Amino acid sequence: MPVTYENESMLEIYIFEASQSLDQMEQIIMKSEREGTFGEEAVNEIFRFMHTIKGSSAMMMFHNITTIAHTMEDIFFFLREKRPQILDYSTLSDLVLDGVDFMKVEVNKIKNHDAPDGNPEDLVMRLKAYLDEILTTVNTGEDKAAEPETVSEKDSVCESEGLEVQPSAAVLDSGGEGAPEPPLKPRKDSKKKKSVQSYKAKLYFQDGCEMEHLRAYGVVHDLTELAEEMFYCPQNILEEDGTAETIRNQGFELFIRTTATMEELQARIEKTVFLEQLILGHADQPEFEPHCMHQDDIHWIPAVTEKEARENAASGNSVSDTQLPLNGNSVSDTQLQSAVKEQPAGSQSMISVNVEKLDGLMNLVGELVIAEAMVTQNPEVLALESDQFQKASRQLHKITTDLQDMVMSIRMVPLSTTFIKMHRIVRDMSKKLNKQVVLDMAGEETEVDKNIIERISDPLMHLIRNAIDHGIEDEAERLEKGKDKIGRISLEAKNAGSDVLIILRDDGRGLSKEKILAKARANGLLTKPEHEMSDREIYNLILLPGFSTKEQVTEFSGRGVGMDVVAKNLEEVGGAVHIESAYGQGTTMTLKIPLTLAIIEGMNIRVGSSRFTIPITSIKESFKPAAKDCHKDPDHNEMVMVRGKSYPILRMHQHFHIEKTETVLADGILIMVEDEDKEICLFADELLGQQQVVVKALPHYIKSMKKILGLAGCTLLGDGSISLILDVSGLAGLRVR
Amino acid sequence: MAKAITEMELEEDTQKGKYLTFNLGSESYGIGIEYVIEIIGLLPITVVPELPVYIKGIMNLRGRIIPVMDMRLRFRKEFVDYDERTCIIVVEIGENSVGLIVDRVSEVTNIADEDIVDQPMLSSGTSNRYIKSIGKVGGEVKMLLDCDALLSHHESELISTIG
Amino acid sequence: MKRVLIVDDAAFMRMAIKNILQKNNFEVVGEAENGLVGVKKYLELQPDLVTMDITMPEMTGLDALKQIRKLDSNANVVMVSAMGQESMVKDSIINGAKSFIVKPFKEDHVLQTLNKVLGL
Repeated sequence: MPVTYENESMLEIYIFEASQSLDQMEQIIMKSEREGTFGEEAVNEIFRFMHTIKGSSAMMMFHNITTIAHTMEDIFFFLREKRPQILDYSTLSDLVLDGVDFMKVEVNKIKNHDAPDGNPEDLVMRLKAYLDEILTTVNTGEDKAAEPETVSEKDSVCESEGLEVQPSAAVLDSGGEGAPEPPLKPRKDSKKKKSVQSYKAKLYFQDGCEMEHLRAYGVVHDLTELAEEMFYCPQNILEEDGTAETIRNQGFELFIRTTATMEELQARIEKTVFLEQLILGHADQPEFEPHCMHQDDIHWIPAVTEKEARENAASGNSVSDTQLPLNGNSVSDTQLQSAVKEQPAGSQSMISVNVEKLDGLMNLVGELVIAEAMVTQNPEVLALESDQFQKASRQLHKITTDLQDMVMSIRMVPLSTTFIKMHRIVRDMSKKLNKQVVLDMAGEETEVDKNIIERISDPLMHLIRNAIDHGIEDEAERLEKGKDKIGRISLEAKNAGSDVLIILRDDGRGLSKEKILAKARANGLLTKPEHEMSDREIYNLILLPGFSTKEQVTEFSGRGVGMDVVAKNLEEVGGAVHIESAYGQGTTMTLKIPLTLAIIEGMNIRVGSSRFTIPITSIKESFKPAAKDCHKDPDHNEMVMVRGKSYPILRMHQHFHIEKTETVLADGILIMVEDEDKEICLFADELLGQQQVVVKALPHYIKSMKKILGLAGCTLLGDGSISLILDVSGLAGLRVR
Repeated sequence: MAKAITEMELEEDTQKGKYLTFNLGSESYGIGIEYVIEIIGLLPITVVPELPVYIKGIMNLRGRIIPVMDMRLRFRKEFVDYDERTCIIVVEIGENSVGLIVDRVSEVTNIADEDIVDQPMLSSGTSNRYIKSIGKVGGEVKMLLDCDALLSHHESELISTIG
Repeated sequence: MKRVLIVDDAAFMRMAIKNILQKNNFEVVGEAENGLVGVKKYLELQPDLVTMDITMPEMTGLDALKQIRKLDSNANVVMVSAMGQESMVKDSIINGAKSFIVKPFKEDHVLQTLNKVLGL
């Protein structure tokens, strides 16, 4: 079923709020489970979350989500009211987390503009079964509250006796003008003594207005202060079942004795919202005597007036948790302040901003940087040699730089949101695999560009699953090895220059070099003699596609989310995976990711008429080579000697097929760049200078064609020309085998 | 730097049946106006390596990086040097924006459905792949482009990297 | 233009109500995410009408209603409730709520209720 929405922003806020609520709920549930108790606050919070999700999902007509939320709300409503002893927290947590998962999946579908068509039936059954179970354990021995099933009797009483509406009685529509009953005009001249008159009213509410019994009650309540006496039918309008429907079908009857005039009464009643029809007449005529009810059914006003309600409150009958002072009109400021400050757990004083807007802002600032350069570095302007101008342009540059820094920092998001998700994985996996595992975290406040965060979540989850599945041994094996029976996984994030490192350590069984080599051999993945491979190179074999064979596929790992996919995901954001291990003791995976994709410090170079930019962090040094230092190796690859070591040369003009460039090495320049432990020298015509550049991705059309090895993106230079940003690891991979 | 020559105002309802016609040599082509964003003169093009020969590179259009396709080369015709009348038609097809280099831009013209016929099957020639149908306007034949096919590519066209 | 204060802990609901009101010539002068802030804003803004969600943290709609009615006996407060909250709606009526809207609500219901309460 195609889904279209009138209002995209309603949808956005729905998705945002629902996702946030579900995440927070998940945390509360897991915390409660860990602590072995579902405290009052937790129950309340979960109830409120479910209530809110139910409400908004119903508004958006997401019926599946509404149903689950409703059923879960019922459970937590019961828990809140009755506070039963829950002995089996595990089952409750599992059930509730299943509910959360279901809703998360549906919300994701909505996010992707798909229909939320999940089938909640099974889950609803299980939830209801659970509720029944805890209901019975509480209700055994308890008297069930009397259910109001006797209303129907009274209905039929009303109906059978019927109302005889005299033709002389006025029939008044809720908006219309009717002629009031002619006899018995109110004595307007007498203020001292107004005669009490009896009236009878019949009210019909609009179709579909819901809660008719409460609307009827509203009328009763409103008229109470006018009434000497009042009674109405059906009674017990405040019990849920039946009365609303009775009123809907048969109307609401009201008998009132009051000094008010018919007009006053009419005006009063007509204020009722959703009133469809009002029949109002005098009750003096015998026909209007209340014979629709048996005598003992006559029910005099039980309605509590507002005044009385306040008095009740004053005498301490109020059930409100927050007591505000009853003296005077001022509400205590400190209490107000504390309410405004203390916000529900998990929410901070933030606003959510559309990422596209941020990208747009980023682009604009990038263009501002370029434009600023175009002005301040304009040769004609520089020729003026004005001190004033220099001063002003320095100031401008400072502001632009600050602005750039600020915008960049807005895009930075702490890793904590990603890390917190890992708890759930650890919990689920340790349960399913029957291994006790604890997750420690550090450095989660470390910030990373928003674009990047989304890309590392999945790889990280996979690595953690792997660690628990393959790394951590089961209890028996651990004890045998003299290890603690509880496995430990630690997740740490920290800054390292222009990168962020995410380090995942486990104290499991570690990687076996022999086994890895054997597998690589078997799958034909070895490209180098084994004895020449460093430990790192051996471990890195597991990142190759095709390394993971079918036997490796357990329920959680494998299945298309292999280590090779992890490595690829990281490469795509310009990052890398490092693996270290000690056999028998554990494994450490380090994810290196760039701080930001958006802006890099680059060195511009020229090759012929083309411009390229090399990330400064990759450059070790640059120099003009001497002819005597250049030579060829036995395979005819060009090399250059630097301080006794030989480095391969990559001619840019050859690689990128550029004409009209320097071809003699000594006439150009060599830039030594490194990627991990590979170093090569790039040959270009000249260095143009260093600057901060805003990274722009290559157009989608081009990226969809192929990944161009050696290009990470492009940027606009001060003169409007395009410079291609080099991807050093791609280039280095070409030269070094 | 070349300036934009024309920018078209496009309305949803009135787009059907309207084509922008352009020339490559003596041959005339049409592209549905709903794809056309703007028409500009030549801008400096930055070469991007390892792409098919008909992708000349990328250009900077007011801060946006747009790939540029030479239509003669796309249709495997002889390449002709650009002159002052060479234009770039900036189109948006799906999520891709591309600039199409053409010899001359002609006009926006209505071609009624009855004047459009499916192109006859010719024995060979890859230029057919990109033509959806043939339209007749005032006695002239215009070849109407299949825009999705225009942007598709075959693996064989892509130069593979050799170390 | 009548001035309205929206009190609800769900941003989604606040937006839903706001959209309806703004399309129909009401001015939304403020929003509050719990009862306590709602009372405070009522004092600051003196709106013509308040829409008050029943279930909220910090201070429920019912309690906020009571406070507001105490501070201003003419206050027009319309409760926003879900199905199944009859007893709280009843308590609200007793404590001076002028009417109520039931979630999920339809635009014309909201408008009818507000217009009726404001005597429009």
